[in-house]
Amino acid sequence: MHAVFTNRKAIVALTVPALLVMLFAIVAPILLSIYYGLTSWAGFGKLTFVGLRNYRDIITADPTFWHSLANAVILALVTIFIQNPVAFVIAAALTKVKRSRIFRTIYFIPAILTVVVVTRLWVSIFNPNYGLLNKVIHALGFSQFSVAWLSNPSTALWSVIFIMIWYGFGWALLFYYSGLMTMSPEIEEAAVIDGANRWQLYTRVVIPYIFPVIQAVLIIDVISSLKQMEVIYLSTNGAPGDATQFIANYLYIKAFMYSQYGYGSAISVMFVVIALILTLVTRGLTNRNPGVEL
Amino acid sequence: MLIYSFLIVFALLQIFPLIWLFDFSLVKSGQLFGPEILKIPDPPQWGNFVRAWTDGNIPRYFLNSVIVVGGSVLGATFLSFCAAYATTRMIWKLRVVVYNIFLLGMVVPIQTTLLPNFIWFRLFGLYDTRIGLIIPYIAFNLAFNTLMFTGMMRSIPRSVEESAYLDGANMTMLLGRIVAPMVAPAIATVSIMTFLNGWNEFIMANTFLASESLRTLPFAVIRFEGQYSSDYAIQFACMALVAIPPILLYFVFSRWIMAGVTAGAVKS
Repeated sequence: MHAVFTNRKAIVALTVPALLVMLFAIVAPILLSIYYGLTSWAGFGKLTFVGLRNYRDIITADPTFWHSLANAVILALVTIFIQNPVAFVIAAALTKVKRSRIFRTIYFIPAILTVVVVTRLWVSIFNPNYGLLNKVIHALGFSQFSVAWLSNPSTALWSVIFIMIWYGFGWALLFYYSGLMTMSPEIEEAAVIDGANRWQLYTRVVIPYIFPVIQAVLIIDVISSLKQMEVIYLSTNGAPGDATQFIANYLYIKAFMYSQYGYGSAISVMFVVIALILTLVTRGLTNRNPGVEL
Repeated sequence: MLIYSFLIVFALLQIFPLIWLFDFSLVKSGQLFGPEILKIPDPPQWGNFVRAWTDGNIPRYFLNSVIVVGGSVLGATFLSFCAAYATTRMIWKLRVVVYNIFLLGMVVPIQTTLLPNFIWFRLFGLYDTRIGLIIPYIAFNLAFNTLMFTGMMRSIPRSVEESAYLDGANMTMLLGRIVAPMVAPAIATVSIMTFLNGWNEFIMANTFLASESLRTLPFAVIRFEGQYSSDYAIQFACMALVAIPPILLYFVFSRWIMAGVTAGAVKS
């Protein structure tokens, strides 16, 4: 009986294919990035080894890199302190209403669309001439507020962040709703009988109960704030100036638009390191470790 | 009552962009510049959709998406099923290490592999091929899928497998006839999530494919903007066409999608 579960050949056959795919498509490229990051290669032609110069330049002489990081932090903060509370409140409301299914279905629809449609649609909505947003603003009589949302430096970042929040909202809502639904009604009833008002009920009973879900959502939010790329690539490409630049997009255009492949690779490596550190830190801080529990 | 109005307002916020999209995809292009927020298409310009379909090369892009995404669903589901079983049920020294290697896939950002894979895949003749897109799609779905299967497998008592073995089953029969049916919900969830990820994926398809004949569906929208840069109604029609398959799939399979997300957050 034990033999089945320790059969070497079976273990190898079961894991090696998946491992090979991961090694080929994920691990190998990272190693290659480390190598290319030490060069000033253009992606073609001559390959010159420059040691750690790229990394030094990124850290000391590249304001765009730091600006991109800052934008990711802003996005993470907006996600955590605006999107998540709204999602939580709505999820809580949905657990109380009868016809929640239709609402949940509608709220999740943006999340299943392709990023190309979502981004280009919102670019159209934000268009200063024919876009939906300015038309609504005009109709409401606030014409002085109709601006070029994506090209105006003071509104560009917030517009882009709004797209990302709109796109990801369904996921946050779903996580919180699922978490809230695992809580049996008796717990709530008992708290109410003990005299808890709504605020106490939520802060002392509900939120602690679904804290694991909140932790999971926070980790996902932090990491995905860092990883944003397609929305930028398909809308502003970082413009105006660096206002809407994010790291993943920056490294992409450095390599494919400016032919600074070596430099772009160095950014990639730093990006992976930052992502790894963030993952470990947020998992450590929130004391969750689904990777090791077996 | 107040709750309902709040929920309805919010629902509108989520869905109104799509309504606007479908509405103006049915009008004559120039009418987008009018002041109306919504316009009743009179008459509805179905021709926009026809032109988006043919000029936007949608059938070919659709077919490519089906091939690439279908391949990655099959591959990712099968490979992660096997890997999850080995790291959950089998007893061996490196079990935890390998499990964590698989989970690493969730940490690595896709964009950091774009640059090197662009060169690396070329070496193997995988650039500008469908299989060259299927492989990374599988790779990046392995982490989540393995997590899903692991969660489900851990909740199944070993006794069923053990008695099957006593009855003479070998590993293949054990996995195929006993374990797989028991984790059928996870198989469904994993397949659908992998499908959605691949169907909506853009940047890898954009980087690893060059030929028009191989591009996937999200690209139809991009192509259209170059070609018909001033015909907004047709662009809208194209976006609407690309948006419809996931929406349909969602309405049919919403339960599995919700289950997948739930399991991901709540179970672990």
